[in-house]
Amino acid sequence: MNCHDAEILVSAYADGEIDFLRKFALERHLRGCADCRAKHEELVALRERVRKEAPFYAASPALKARISATIGAVEAAAPSPLRPAQRWRWVGGGALAGCAATVLAWVLGSAVLTWQASEDLANEAVATHVRATLNNHMVEVASSDQHTVKPWLSARLDYSPPVRDLAAEGFTLVGGRLDNLGKHRVATLVYRYRLHMIDVFVRPEPVPAAPPLTTVRGFNVVHANGSGMDWVAVSDVSPDVLAEFLQRLATSQ
Amino acid sequence: MSGTSKFEQLVLPHLDAGHNLARWLARDAHDAEDVVQDACLRALKYVDALRGEDARSWFLTVVRHAFYDWCRRNRPSELIDDDGTALEMAVDEAGVSPEQAALRGAESRALADAMAELPLAFREVLVLREFEDMSYKEIARVANVPVGTVMSRLARARSLLQRSPRLRSVRGQTLGAER
Repeated sequence: MNCHDAEILVSAYADGEIDFLRKFALERHLRGCADCRAKHEELVALRERVRKEAPFYAASPALKARISATIGAVEAAAPSPLRPAQRWRWVGGGALAGCAATVLAWVLGSAVLTWQASEDLANEAVATHVRATLNNHMVEVASSDQHTVKPWLSARLDYSPPVRDLAAEGFTLVGGRLDNLGKHRVATLVYRYRLHMIDVFVRPEPVPAAPPLTTVRGFNVVHANGSGMDWVAVSDVSPDVLAEFLQRLATSQ
Repeated sequence: MSGTSKFEQLVLPHLDAGHNLARWLARDAHDAEDVVQDACLRALKYVDALRGEDARSWFLTVVRHAFYDWCRRNRPSELIDDDGTALEMAVDEAGVSPEQAALRGAESRALADAMAELPLAFREVLVLREFEDMSYKEIARVANVPVGTVMSRLARARSLLQRSPRLRSVRGQTLGAER
């Protein structure tokens, strides 16, 4: 073995990754060649230094928390395969049991459907919020000026969402973007409250039956009606603060 | 076992390893987090396909793919330049003055910088070897190259590191101070 071959092999030798025959040949060469022996020692020292001194970058707690939240949101947003079957079994059973039972089942069934729809909406809203946060794609139009955000949104939708700045109350308008919610294109207003981001989805058709407040995977979802619009806010801000903010946003002129 | 619980059990324990790899590849804290988040979404989607094999290797492969996709979108020049020219730059002594190196201070910092300057293909095998202590065979699977290539890239990475002006100028300074 010559020095050129040895130079290529010492690295794998230091890793214990060369086969017996080459190891034998290399060791014999190292015994007879001071230059290559020095190179080998230098390499081993470098390897030790890298292992001891090079920084290992562990994931930050914030990143871990965000990832856990995403997993939760993805799971919550995935439709459970059992649900539709159960729904129909209820209705079917009611029909067989007789007219009264059918009516009862129908009433129950539609109640379940309404509840289901609002739950789906909350899940979808949270998933959308998390996706936007994770992709750092909170706003498509960045402006704290309501007179910039509103025309931007109006130009891209078939309705004109009311946009208000509540900076005086601590809720700074960051901007707006477009999302899809319940198969409709909706306006999303983005606000910042202290260190928290708030997404407000504004839709033109009011949904009277939606529950005012739910929590999905640690995110609070608040619902309100006002100014002829349907408002859904998602954030990790505490529920009472979020509800008051949304109520103010939905009803103020 | 559902996808999410499988993800939590098999993948989450290797989140630090995945982040470390992404951080060394992207060389930026913020970009590395983007890559890891994307990798987790992919891992969650495909975790059902993970059967019996080593979850760490599998997740690191996902992270690596996520990084290269991210790189194609955000820094395409880095992938094109990552051939011989990058090699020459890595040993370009004019790139770092001893004063700069001295200002950097700590030798460890210089070592980290020298590693970060290695061309991508060399950096990734070195990180998998030195931090994850993976065998050449495992590295070959993650980096999708033959074992022989892993061997030569590691040798090359180390020899570039030994010749790095960052390490040399720091050493020169220290020796100079001792004299």
